Amino acid sequence: MKKFLALLLSMILALSLAACGGGSDQPPQTTDKPADTQQPADSAPADTAPEGKTVKVGLICIGDENDQGYTYNFIRGKEAATEALAAKGITVDWVVKWNIGEDSGCEDANIELADEGCDLIINNSFGFEPFMLKVAPDYPEIEFIACTNQASWGDSLDNTHNAFANIYEGRYLAGVVAGMKLQQMIDEGEITADQAVIGYVGAFSFAEVISGFTSYFLGARSVCPSVTMKVQFVGSWSDATEEANAASALADMGCVMISQHSDNTTPATTAQTKGVFHTGYNNDMISVAPEASLIGTRINWAPYFEYAIESVANGESFDQDWCHGMDMDAVVMTDLNEAIAAPGTAEKLTEVEAKIRSGELQVFDTSTFTIEGKVLESAFALDTDGDFAPDSEEAVFDGAFHESYFQSAPYFALRIDGIDWINEAF
Amino acid sequence: MNHEKKTPLIRLAKRDGMEGWKVWCIRAGSILFALLLGALVMALAGANPVTAYGTMISGALGKKSAIRQTVKIAVPLLGCALAITPCFKMRFWNIGAEGQITAGAIAASYFALFWASRLPSPVLLVVMGIAGALAGGLWALIPAFFKARWNTNETLFTLMMNYIVIGVVRWLQGGPWEGRKGSQIIPQFDEAACLPRVLGVHCGWIIVLVLVVFMHVYMNHTKHGYEIAVIGDSINTARYAGMNVGRVMMRTMFLSGAISGLVGFIVASGANNTLYDGVAGGVGFTSITVAWLSQLNAFAMVGISGLLAVLSKGAETLQTRMAVPTSISDIITGILLFCMLGCEFFINYKLIFRGAGRKEARHE
Repeated sequence: MKKFLALLLSMILALSLAACGGGSDQPPQTTDKPADTQQPADSAPADTAPEGKTVKVGLICIGDENDQGYTYNFIRGKEAATEALAAKGITVDWVVKWNIGEDSGCEDANIELADEGCDLIINNSFGFEPFMLKVAPDYPEIEFIACTNQASWGDSLDNTHNAFANIYEGRYLAGVVAGMKLQQMIDEGEITADQAVIGYVGAFSFAEVISGFTSYFLGARSVCPSVTMKVQFVGSWSDATEEANAASALADMGCVMISQHSDNTTPATTAQTKGVFHTGYNNDMISVAPEASLIGTRINWAPYFEYAIESVANGESFDQDWCHGMDMDAVVMTDLNEAIAAPGTAEKLTEVEAKIRSGELQVFDTSTFTIEGKVLESAFALDTDGDFAPDSEEAVFDGAFHESYFQSAPYFALRIDGIDWINEAF
Repeated sequence: MNHEKKTPLIRLAKRDGMEGWKVWCIRAGSILFALLLGALVMALAGANPVTAYGTMISGALGKKSAIRQTVKIAVPLLGCALAITPCFKMRFWNIGAEGQITAGAIAASYFALFWASRLPSPVLLVVMGIAGALAGGLWALIPAFFKARWNTNETLFTLMMNYIVIGVVRWLQGGPWEGRKGSQIIPQFDEAACLPRVLGVHCGWIIVLVLVVFMHVYMNHTKHGYEIAVIGDSINTARYAGMNVGRVMMRTMFLSGAISGLVGFIVASGANNTLYDGVAGGVGFTSITVAWLSQLNAFAMVGISGLLAVLSKGAETLQTRMAVPTSISDIITGILLFCMLGCEFFINYKLIFRGAGRKEARHE
């Protein structure tokens, strides 16, 4: 009994000591932070840098930066934009939420960031939008962005935005690099013309993926006319093992070039193991597969973040649906692996890139592909009645399918000749 | 002398009849100890523990909107803890609540997606609730039937059932119920299929509070509850008393699954307004801790699920304000649960150190 009391007393003593010790080592720093950043930018005192504006920006991520893919790419954009804005006298106070699910947890994250006094809240995943839209009407003074999704042009809210990049331009260029390599292999007698087969590891048969592999294929075929492609869908945006399995199966089916629309680097490493070539996405994959990876392409979010945040800092409104490509460096190529790329690739890349920038070259030029043997003459871009089938805005005009023209999110979901869909379950 | 040498350094002995106030002192002590350990973890992560705990509490309870979110997190935890209570009382280890929630959510979603235009909202919601409860109940009945009939292992069986039903949702998401092609996302429900809000939170909180009272009465003041308690203590006694053990098991599992299914309906209709494979989100497992910590007392569950919700919401705010990774707060929650469950050991057993017996004898 006595011992028990003594034990209890000593425990309480220890606890109170620890509590005091913990309290005194540094003053509370964060509790009053939300209040002082919430004041309107124009009333900020002039004692800071040039204009001295501070914008508090929330970023909600589906993963974390360790994924080396999707979310990591957003973080790179965030850091570059912060730097660029600092030069303009705008300080960005970032609040990042990691590993948020596409469920009511996303709604909570939006509410929490809004309550913390963010002026702008960026949602980085497609599936976040419906939950963001539940919060946006309650905070009309805060701007909300849903990257890669598409509701803003149709919802009645002024404070919601969508953004995407013309990644198909980068895909096309990566395709050109792949095609040149294949043509080189044909010319050198390594493979016959009909053995020039590309294997593509796709996540789902989703418009964004279809648009990506179609542009990639068209890029390759522009320099290697005999090329064909097989697409294997893995049924996940990020599943390292499944992606590796798909790449491996494609190589076994005779594909000599692997590309991907999935988050991991395993297709690159598998390609190297199988002795075939590879082009990447989201990240430079040369470091993991130096003997296979030729080049990669990725979206550069910095220009958009810079634009949106600067607009908010200046109290201006900004585009509700933003989409740019190489014209604003929103799409960039990673380094070319000169050691294994076909000779003349760098020059060809520069040439094609210039043509894309000037508008001379249209990626989805309808004279370059057929659907069931016929030239594409009509395809709708937008779904206005909510049945998930496009029903308005003719995307085919001036001899090309205009991707990401009527809305930022890709809508090219057609199946062109020359591409074989292996696994349509996804 | 010889005997003394053989005695291990520490021995365990069953303790019975510890005074009530001592028990509560040990429990309070364990929570304090856990908070202290948590503080150490936070300090290692570079956050001031006092500020951090303050942030967690203010983040979870400091604002109206924060309280609403906390309540939203607590609702399924409480509902599901209530659901598994009768099973655990019966010592039927139902760890399939996750799947039963999901099964209920699927059935409710079916009506939300395809009957929204045909039924007025209140009717639709009632139909969704009943469908959810039935689906959850039937899903739970399968392992109970096998257990009653062939004495299969219910722990493994209920666990495996989870993966099956979650697989079904994945198939629905990518197949027949998919919205935009390839998106793997089922469209948001029609307004009519969403639970209305009361005081800013979907009215699921009222449903689970009613369930608290129901479960308390059911377990303590009905014949069913008595049968469950007897089976939990000894199946042979129950048989000897003429109870049909298999029947009681199936009935209890059906009830348990039905409540889980109702929780599934609440989460899908009230919180997410859609169905996806993570609809249960680990609630089926966390609620086991809630039920256990509450010692299967329905009213205590309100407090414990509230505590876990505060920790969970607080952890989010901690990450927002102090950039502490949420995994750190997961660790702290884990420590807290571990200490709280672990302290029951010290309530039920005492440690006897070598040689202590003699000294104690001298004292007395």
